[in-house]
Amino acid sequence: MASEKSVGGLRCFEVLEQLSDYLDGELSAEQRSKLEAHLAGCEECTRFGGEFGAVVAALRQKLGAADVPEAAARRLDEALAKKA
Amino acid sequence: MTDAELARRASSGDRAAFSALVATHRGAVFGFARRLTRDADLAADVMQETFLTALQKLAGWRGEGSLRGWLLSIARSQVLLARRRRAGEPAVFEPVESLPELGLEAGWGAPLDPLALAERVEAQSGLERALAALPDEAREVLLLRDVEGLSGDETAAALGLSVAAMKSRLHRARLQLVAAVKRGGLHGE
Repeated sequence: MASEKSVGGLRCFEVLEQLSDYLDGELSAEQRSKLEAHLAGCEECTRFGGEFGAVVAALRQKLGAADVPEAAARRLDEALAKKA
Repeated sequence: MTDAELARRASSGDRAAFSALVATHRGAVFGFARRLTRDADLAADVMQETFLTALQKLAGWRGEGSLRGWLLSIARSQVLLARRRRAGEPAVFEPVESLPELGLEAGWGAPLDPLALAERVEAQSGLERALAALPDEAREVLLLRDVEGLSGDETAAALGLSVAAMKSRLHRARLQLVAAVKRGGLHGE
């Protein structure tokens, strides 16, 4: 298990905790540089961080608005027209 | 014309402006509701109720945050109402796992299988399946924050959570999604 190893002043578990904040740009400059120092020296966290980032990126890019079925769109228009 | 301008006109009775807002946002509202409920018919009802509510309450929208965030927040309330109305629907109990447990399920510290993950992430259907397999609580925070791209503040407000609580829920949900993608999204379907 990767949690006990300390690299760059951070343990793997602490990296796991901070992955979302890292991805969302919400770490301080100091936190970010410590985390990046850990990643540079820890193959396991680099791999898992890459997977985590790839899944979140795909979620952001691939799942957009859905096509509204024609019948549902018509029903919506009719319901709104009644409120006119 | 921006959403704020359209909303201002619509709240003064300009129905063409309201129709333009509906046309812009109905796909997002329907997609959010369908992915949250996993039920296209219910999602159509939620979409309809959302825009009827929006029409009624638009004058009260203060323009804080995005209009889409406000609409999705209404849609979420409509989903909760619909669930409450469905008498006899069993409550889903999801055990709370610790972060290391969630990490391990997501493959933290496990051997690399980059090809399989890349293929599953690449396929939209694989992502949809994985998302559908998650508990409701995880799915809704991912839909609002990552799929719809609401800000952290907007997401927290839509869920009625503090930003810190929302961030914690989001991180756990992302780990659950990684695990579900790796499983092929089959668990829980």
